[in-house]
Amino acid sequence: MTPSAPDPTRAAARPPGRARPFAKAAAAAYRYRVYLLCTIIFAVMGAAAPHFLTPGNFSNVLKGTSTNLPAAVGFTIVLIAGQLDLSVGSAMTMGGILVMGLSPSLGWAGAFGVAVLCGLGLGLTNGLLVAKARINSFIVTLGTMIIVYNAMAIYCRGGTIPATTFALSDFLQRPVVDLDPRGAPPALLWLTLWLTPRNLVSLAVMAAAAVFLRRTPAGRGLHLMGGNPQAAWYSGLHVDRYVIGAFALSGLLAAVGGAVVAAGEAAGSLKLGENSLMTIVAAVIIGGTSMEGGKGTVVGTTVALVALTALINGLSCLGAGHEVQLVASGLVLALIILYDAYWLHRRQRRRGQRKDLLEELQARAASDPPAGRGSQGAPSAPGPGREGRSHG
Amino acid sequence: MSPPPPAARRTRPPAGGRVFGALNVLGVYGLVGGLFALGCAISREFISPDNLMNALRAVTLLGIVAVGLAFVTYSRHYVDLSIPGIMALSGTVAVWALKFGFVPSLAIGLAVGALVGLVNGLVIGYLRLNPIIWTLAMMSLLSGVIRWAYAGRQIYPDKATAAGRAFLELYHHRLLGLLPLPVAVLLAVAAGGYFLMRHTGYGARLKLTGSAYEVARLTGINVRRAVAGAFVISSLTSAAAGVLLTSFNKVGAVYIGGGYDFRTITAVVLGGMTLAGGRGSIVGVLGGVAAIALMNNVMSLVRVGQFVLGDFQQNIVQGAVFILVVGINSFARRRTGGDDA
Amino acid sequence: MTTRRTAAWAMAAMLGAIGGCRSEPAGRKAPADRAEALKQSLAVDVSGLKSADTQPLIIMDETPLQPPPRPADPLKLPEDDPLHWYDMEYAGWRGRKVNLPRSPGDGALGKRVICLRHMDHPYTTAYTRGMEKVAGACGIRLKTLTAGNADVNIQSQQVDQVVNERPDLVILFPVDATAVVPMLRKLNQAGVPIIASNLLPVDQGMPYVLTWTGPDDWGQFRMLAREFAKRMNHEGGYCIVRHMPGGSPFFSRTFSVVTELKKIAPRMKCFDMQTTLLEAEKTAQVVSGWITKYGAELKGIVSADDSGAQIGINEACRNAGREDIIRVAAGNSKVGMDFIKAGKLHGITYQSAEADGALPMKIAADWFNGKEDLKPVYYLPKHVITAKDVDQYMPAQW
Repeated sequence: MTPSAPDPTRAAARPPGRARPFAKAAAAAYRYRVYLLCTIIFAVMGAAAPHFLTPGNFSNVLKGTSTNLPAAVGFTIVLIAGQLDLSVGSAMTMGGILVMGLSPSLGWAGAFGVAVLCGLGLGLTNGLLVAKARINSFIVTLGTMIIVYNAMAIYCRGGTIPATTFALSDFLQRPVVDLDPRGAPPALLWLTLWLTPRNLVSLAVMAAAAVFLRRTPAGRGLHLMGGNPQAAWYSGLHVDRYVIGAFALSGLLAAVGGAVVAAGEAAGSLKLGENSLMTIVAAVIIGGTSMEGGKGTVVGTTVALVALTALINGLSCLGAGHEVQLVASGLVLALIILYDAYWLHRRQRRRGQRKDLLEELQARAASDPPAGRGSQGAPSAPGPGREGRSHG
Repeated sequence: MSPPPPAARRTRPPAGGRVFGALNVLGVYGLVGGLFALGCAISREFISPDNLMNALRAVTLLGIVAVGLAFVTYSRHYVDLSIPGIMALSGTVAVWALKFGFVPSLAIGLAVGALVGLVNGLVIGYLRLNPIIWTLAMMSLLSGVIRWAYAGRQIYPDKATAAGRAFLELYHHRLLGLLPLPVAVLLAVAAGGYFLMRHTGYGARLKLTGSAYEVARLTGINVRRAVAGAFVISSLTSAAAGVLLTSFNKVGAVYIGGGYDFRTITAVVLGGMTLAGGRGSIVGVLGGVAAIALMNNVMSLVRVGQFVLGDFQQNIVQGAVFILVVGINSFARRRTGGDDA
Repeated sequence: MTTRRTAAWAMAAMLGAIGGCRSEPAGRKAPADRAEALKQSLAVDVSGLKSADTQPLIIMDETPLQPPPRPADPLKLPEDDPLHWYDMEYAGWRGRKVNLPRSPGDGALGKRVICLRHMDHPYTTAYTRGMEKVAGACGIRLKTLTAGNADVNIQSQQVDQVVNERPDLVILFPVDATAVVPMLRKLNQAGVPIIASNLLPVDQGMPYVLTWTGPDDWGQFRMLAREFAKRMNHEGGYCIVRHMPGGSPFFSRTFSVVTELKKIAPRMKCFDMQTTLLEAEKTAQVVSGWITKYGAELKGIVSADDSGAQIGINEACRNAGREDIIRVAAGNSKVGMDFIKAGKLHGITYQSAEADGALPMKIAADWFNGKEDLKPVYYLPKHVITAKDVDQYMPAQW
């Protein structure tokens, strides 16, 4: 009845210590699956779709990625901390509309500041409700998502707010090194065309978050808190502060992302973050962050976003309809999580098998008369919490 | 407050226990009662049978889907985000299958929905994939498949055939000339769901699976089958609601059922089911649905001179009430010594 | 199933998905000689084409454009003053143009045109059908892209993609009239000719396009309002069911009615205007709330959609026993026309989806043939369908 209990008699048929062919390659493929996915998508689309492998299109793919990237980074941080933040899309919309709406009266800097502060406020609210009022994060962020969206709809009266000038939008979208696309050599174009301030802001956010998560004690603490809240509490981490901090960061980053998008597009629309949530969730999961918390990287999220954007972009280049894009992105997500589950299953099957213990068992089985299954004391059923955590 | 050390146990009843104890028992019906009182205070027309019937009619289909989703939430699998897709698919397939006759078309529509639910159940129950992500992927797939299958058009039941006419009348049909069919379906589904959850072995198994998956597994319960069953139940109710909604809309289209995913989980959680699973009841879910109906109704009757509550304002109030109610629920549970899941 | 087999299935699925992509009308290859190409292109006659409802496919409103003078700051005026909406309603009428590309003048055969649509919807399916009919007749290669589910970000990305691909012309159906302005500017600066379609961009965006074609949302709804007022005997209270927020019909199908009725029927009073996201159930709930709240004072309801939203309205009216309420809506889907025949809906605007798609393609073909003196805007003819003439417009296009 315990599916993961290893069968020593069957394992004994395979000599221990002999490496399976491709085992290392398969393990590497799993670890770097998101990069593999990205490469496959680029290869397939590059071969099949016209105009895909051009500097201009590459720049478009990165621009599409940078639209959702700050919010996705925020979502990753919250997910690593073991919580869900469904309000990232609405926070993006809020950032965008506030920036556009307030810029005539407060100027760009002031408007950005207010938008960022509101994002921070939203994040703090989410965090306080989750940490102090102890309401499930799914519920809290579902509620705040609705509240924020409708508050913004009231603010902009259901209409889109245009920018007063195109100056900022041009600045954000023009490459830092502006070469004439028709005159410059392609190699240089590949390097420079996508280096726009808008993309740079998103990449900077990603880099800062990556450093924060990997190298700072606070970041490592987040991992611990998401992976094992009990252990984190016992180690003396202020768990509540971490939760509040994670949500605050998420709200802040999502608002920044939305503000940059709106400024870049020179329009603050209510539909800015409408479809972002699903894209972000898909990208974060494909990028390797676990739904249970404690594990994940922002680099993985970024590469997954690039892959998904490239997929949609490539299908657009082919002229494929919206339905093909829906099916393709659904399939990619489904296949990746199936792959994840398969790998987890294999790892669990092997967890009980320890090579030295197996050798000892086989040695004993060879010398003693067969004692039946009752003699298997060492390999045990997976401990509590391991199988239970497989679904999260 | 951080998680308390496991060994601590309360030895005397906590302060405020009686108030929160009452809240615990009443659950969402406290909110329903409060809304009722508020409605009577706001407008004279609130208490009229027409108005209450309107409020009920608005949430009948929501209730049908919510009863099904309650099983999924009960089993600690959060939510089924593919509900809108299942609704659209069942409805569209039922319209397409009208050429085989009226009753076969209903059966085929329900079967297709159940099939999707079976796939969901197998993947989430047996392969143990995360329900949110998998149903998200499934929603995307369903949406794409429906659009592709009908080349972006919407299909109409053929009024020239008897089956088509019967289908168009389905939503408005009254059993025995009195009871509207959707309400009858809701009552049947609710009764069946209540019975299934409370008085059958399956319900008991699901409860243990939701509260303590590992314990259930070690007890010998086939947890995977229980979870898969929950998703099949959810998809069946969604399919039924989808067919009814398609009949109401007079057209099979991909946008049927949009918005149902979040509205349903709101109703389920408002009704006292926790996302941690194993807690709550169908009666509570119906209360949550009634609370949503009354909230919408009361807010739309507000009329202070020129001031009315617009759609955006109503949504904000709903979102705030949602968080508040769930917060009070979990606080009350903790205060009365219960598990604070 | 091993990893390798899974990977193989995945690749097969992806390639299959790619292979199943909709193929575009292939177009005809133009002869090498420019004069010959032009002569062949001019010989094509599309005036005989018909749409699925047996009406002519290429139709346009020939009334001359006479915009009123623009106030200094329209947004400072109150919302029920028609001139508040000047930049939306009369966008482009004054015909200022900036940096327009010149026509190549060698005919339409073999030209590549990309159509960017705002979303996937049965209306846009009919729209593309009409466009493809004309493209096929003229020998134009048409590629159609859809901006997700009315997602401004995706439309922006697709505009970038178009700048990269440099087709011979772009037909752009905006997701949002205000947000599309920078996109039009970008295309214009890249030298790509644009014809905007269906949704009129706000005035600031019109200098960048060759022209715009589409239904006259503001004008038609004013016509509908006049019919509405006539049936209500110019008095009584009414409510408006609005379109989706974040788009332009949210305003055009609401305030055209409000401002027109204020002018011609000052005794009529607008009680409420709400969006219901065009969902039938939600509309039923909102309208029954209105009926309960306003009772006999509510005499009419205007709707931005004659299918989903109208079903909700009619359901609410039926449940309340208020079949006396005058109802008008924006059309024209099959559901709406069925309601007209049944007497449950008293007037809908005529909006032929196929003609909406065919007209920009015809204008594009004319432009390729060298016709550069285009009108600033081309409106489809305005008409309100009532029970008297609804049979002429069946079978419905969508």
